[in-house]
Amino acid sequence: MIKGEIEVGPAAVRTAVAERLEHGSALGAYASDRGVRYLFIEKHGVQVLSARVDSSEPVAAVSGTCPGLSWDEREMADEFGIAFDALPDARPFRPVNGELAPAVVATGPGVTQVVVGPVHAGIIEPGRFTFSSGGETIAHLDFQIGFSHRHLEQSFEGADPLDLAPRVARVCGACSASRSLAYAMAVESISDARIADPVHIARQIVVELERVYNHVFDLAVCSAAAGWGFGQAVGLGLKECALRICHAATGHRLLFDAIVPGGVRDGVLDDREEVQTLVVMLQESVEQYVRAIFDNTSLISRWSETGTLTYDAARALAVVGPAHRASGGLVDVRDAAPYGAYRWLPIVAAREEGGDVLARCRVKVAELRDSFRIIHRAFEHLGSRRLNRSAVIPPETGDTVTVVEGPRGAETVALTVRGTVVERVHFISASYRNWPAVAHATTGNIVPDAPLVNKSFNLCYACADR
Amino acid sequence: MAIFNKSIGIRHLVCGSCNGCEHEMNALAGPDYDITQHGWDIVASPRHADVVTVTGPMTEAMRVPAQRTLEAVPGPKVIVAIGDCAVGCGVFAGSAGVGAGACVELGATIAVPGCPPTPSMIKAGLLRAAQALGGPSQPAARDDSMSGSTKVGSTRCTSERAG
Repeated sequence: MIKGEIEVGPAAVRTAVAERLEHGSALGAYASDRGVRYLFIEKHGVQVLSARVDSSEPVAAVSGTCPGLSWDEREMADEFGIAFDALPDARPFRPVNGELAPAVVATGPGVTQVVVGPVHAGIIEPGRFTFSSGGETIAHLDFQIGFSHRHLEQSFEGADPLDLAPRVARVCGACSASRSLAYAMAVESISDARIADPVHIARQIVVELERVYNHVFDLAVCSAAAGWGFGQAVGLGLKECALRICHAATGHRLLFDAIVPGGVRDGVLDDREEVQTLVVMLQESVEQYVRAIFDNTSLISRWSETGTLTYDAARALAVVGPAHRASGGLVDVRDAAPYGAYRWLPIVAAREEGGDVLARCRVKVAELRDSFRIIHRAFEHLGSRRLNRSAVIPPETGDTVTVVEGPRGAETVALTVRGTVVERVHFISASYRNWPAVAHATTGNIVPDAPLVNKSFNLCYACADR
Repeated sequence: MAIFNKSIGIRHLVCGSCNGCEHEMNALAGPDYDITQHGWDIVASPRHADVVTVTGPMTEAMRVPAQRTLEAVPGPKVIVAIGDCAVGCGVFAGSAGVGAGACVELGATIAVPGCPPTPSMIKAGLLRAAQALGGPSQPAARDDSMSGSTKVGSTRCTSERAG
């Protein structure tokens, strides 16, 4: 999916990134032994801006002007020893010997700090939230991760790219199918493997099912966080229906290992009629659920003007996915740089302006409806055609970047193969991209709304920690 | 009090899980698997817990918080390992970047394998935990609970595919 690569000197990175941001949105940045790379999603593909690392010349840090890339640059500094010029936040990104860097706090008369985590009061992954609040109002929130860091990228180096697929599927459970698709596309791209149309269509059904179960779950937890028990119960019931459809479609409730390099796993979409019938039933129930949500005046009132993320803030923080589109953003990877079946079976991109919890929920409702439309259309095009797997033979060397639109936004995989094994693989998840925006959107809200703002993004920790 | 013997409070501890087990754990709060009908609850503090569910292969940064959480849970308590990563590291077994699985590292005595296990399997594991704590069908476990022994540090891990 790389449409172009520009190479600049380390000192020119900041200016060059600012120029690229005129054309598209940042996907992230990463380092390898060969240097640093900044990635952008533009019309028709990924633009790469790279710089060789030179010990005499530091890289001009971008996070001062594009704070959304702060995590990427801190990670590059920690893990690859990249020397940056003017890194605004130079704290170690992840815990060192089990200890996190001190949190950034607000101080002043009447301002107090509350630390939450890493272990949370629910079924939630580990992370540390440090709230500074004056009375009920949150003055600052510092969110720090790293507790689920499994050193996955390092441990994947040297592996056969095909053997790696089951581990890639388990980088994160909630966006597994999207990441498996991006990874399969990367392996197939460097191997020049041709994928048959029916397989592309089957994969489209699989990743849209992932969006359906995640978006329904998001509505359920946004109901719960606003104290609406009925909405939570109904939403969790519908999510269970969605997971059972996923099982009927792929043999796995969370779609693990359904998409593999070369195709889809044996057995995927064997019983198409059954899956289609279940999807129709779920769609009807979701419509009733959506009606109940928007008929609930007090719920909508609670969702309105809570956790507002302005267009400018979303842009500066490089926000992706439904959160980006709820703040007036226009980018949906399926639309901007279509891949697989999206090239001839397009989506209708959703968009809202408000940037609050309500806008994010509205975007997800619109996307749910479009996902159902996409799934039905995909089944029509698929018919009874067989899903033959293509041979994938990774070459001696190869390098690519792929990106797909997962439930939370752009899921990026950068893969370099050398000597038929993985030299470097880097995952930029939508959750990694959007966490700083959660902290930003929470600021200025009252403490009891912090979980609601958080759940309106509903991000994962596992794919951000890796 | 006998009727409350099995109404367990559950504290969930994530030690590097991929979030897959958490999605299935979350279903326990939904209408299909509703654990509150058994008097069970996911509690907001380790002080309120009888059972600690653990997931993940164990990461460096979670070792201390996990031990502190277990220390904060009053005895008698039962540790339940949920998912292949916790039980034996699953696809990450042998990887230098992760531990030996939360099951071995924290001394879980009940294991619920699966990647992830289904909500029904998790519920069956929790039922065994409830029985170990107070159920008349498990006198040996009851002796343990009466003595207040915590089993932290034990590497005994009974693996059983729950229904």
